[in-house]
Amino acid sequence: MVDAAMTGAISAGMDSAKLKRMRRFKAGDATFRALTLSAALMVLVLLGGVIISLVHGSIPALSTFGFGFITSQSWNPVTEKFGALAPIYGTVITSFIALLIAVPVGIGIAIFLTELCPPWLKRPIGVAIELLAGIPSIIYGIWGLFVFAPFFQTTIQPFLIDIFAPIPVLNSLFAGPPYGIGILTAGFILAIMVLPFITSITRDVFDTVPPVLKEATYGLGCTTSEVVTKVVLPYTRVGVIGGVMLGLGRALGETMAVTFVIGNAHKISASILSPGTTISASIANEFTEAVGDLYTSSLIALGLILFVITFIVLAAARLLLMRMNVKAGN
Amino acid sequence: MTQTAMNTAGMAEKISIRNLKFFYGDNLALKTINLPLFEKKVTAFIGPSGCGKSTLLRVLNRMYDLYPRQRAEGEVIFDGKNVLDPDQDRNMLRARVGMVFQKPTPFPMSIYDNIAFGIRLYENISRSEMDGRVEAALTRGALWNEVKDKLHTSGLSLSGGQQQRLCIARTIAVRPEVVLFDEPCSALDPISTAKIEELIDELTTDYTIAIVTHNMQQAARVSDYTAFMYLGELIEFDETTKIFTAPSDKRTQDYITGRFG
Repeated sequence: MVDAAMTGAISAGMDSAKLKRMRRFKAGDATFRALTLSAALMVLVLLGGVIISLVHGSIPALSTFGFGFITSQSWNPVTEKFGALAPIYGTVITSFIALLIAVPVGIGIAIFLTELCPPWLKRPIGVAIELLAGIPSIIYGIWGLFVFAPFFQTTIQPFLIDIFAPIPVLNSLFAGPPYGIGILTAGFILAIMVLPFITSITRDVFDTVPPVLKEATYGLGCTTSEVVTKVVLPYTRVGVIGGVMLGLGRALGETMAVTFVIGNAHKISASILSPGTTISASIANEFTEAVGDLYTSSLIALGLILFVITFIVLAAARLLLMRMNVKAGN
Repeated sequence: MTQTAMNTAGMAEKISIRNLKFFYGDNLALKTINLPLFEKKVTAFIGPSGCGKSTLLRVLNRMYDLYPRQRAEGEVIFDGKNVLDPDQDRNMLRARVGMVFQKPTPFPMSIYDNIAFGIRLYENISRSEMDGRVEAALTRGALWNEVKDKLHTSGLSLSGGQQQRLCIARTIAVRPEVVLFDEPCSALDPISTAKIEELIDELTTDYTIAIVTHNMQQAARVSDYTAFMYLGELIEFDETTKIFTAPSDKRTQDYITGRFG
């Protein structure tokens, strides 16, 4: 339309009013562009800002403790000796437990939804999974503390302690009084929270398997379980791993629900039934009471470590999913 | 359907299709089909797109079962048993009625495993025996000489024509009795097509073959019998030479001379 106005203006010998209006159009367009561009650039600025302030804030702690910060598990605000090993351990182990539970269940749901589910059941299950993903984490925390933890304490933990008692190694893994809250409980809650992510991504990558490939497999006389294990999973392996990594990224950073049920003890115990802490739970719990500069700086340094771990995991997930998409596009 | 008196004396019907109707939801896609597939002969299905050729093929190994709202009525008698019976073991049926698809569908595994995969489903055989079976199948699929030095590379690394021959070898490796070809050459170049046609010809010594094709020269070249279908009906079924030289139905003649379709 502007072009048409332009040629019109030229042929009419440059009507000055029209020229003015055109200039206004142009200025408007430039403003529009600048606005959207700055909105987009803001993301980069924010990310950069977060990184810079994390690094800046953690310098006192890191320069005081050096490398020892991530190898020491002492966390003593009174003597101002801080080490991040216990929260790092807690973060990694709770996420690991979460994946151990959520991956098989999530993949199972995805297989059922894509290969076996009758059409009328597909939607209700799909919607339920999305709703599960939409529940705020504080609610998982409350539920975990008031409903799940007591149940764990009275039923599951005594059961685990009993059956593993005679087995070496495992008896120390499942030892101690049943507190209800602890590393294992946090892992369970995390598993429920990452389950929808793993399920929906796995379902999506399963849908990228060409129907004719599945037909060919069925055509040899395969059963559904053979089709899934021998063809669908190998075909989508990379994408499934990417989905699991995204779930892991979420599990690593989850704060509120974990803070409620993990027990917040800065120590590493052999037993996964005992209380522990994670990076994000430590920060959330202690920031308000961190008085000294070194204390605050140590908490920020914890945040930096979490940022780095999560960033690596998410980058790996993206990379794998990208490779998956390229493969599907071919 | 018009059907002239064929010389079918001494010909065994491997599969007899009787009063077969097929529905996609409420949509009638096959209207009362009656047709024999003779043992160790090639039967070609020709007709314009959407006439139900592929649908018919997919009934024979009950591939349509994978999808909800698709159902078949009537009888498909295979060695005396109606395969449309609800109690028919579909995995067993598909092992006996193999299928080759329009696009090559190598599995995401090595060439060797692509072949061994199907065999392992049914037989527990030693490594050396398996090697022999894989070689035999690939030889039969006219692919052995091209892949014998790279059996453990991915099946996806082969060319389109080689992939399709791999799929044929994979299908016959499980020793089916009937092989269904659903437009096996439509994604291939002429040289690969010629190789596959040659292969189909050789397979008739052991297998009963049904092939859907859009290429009428191909039907004329590879088949013993031809069925012409149009809008879900079987218009004419006869010996291939008869169909292509003196068809009984006007519509068949119009189609093979290129007047429609």
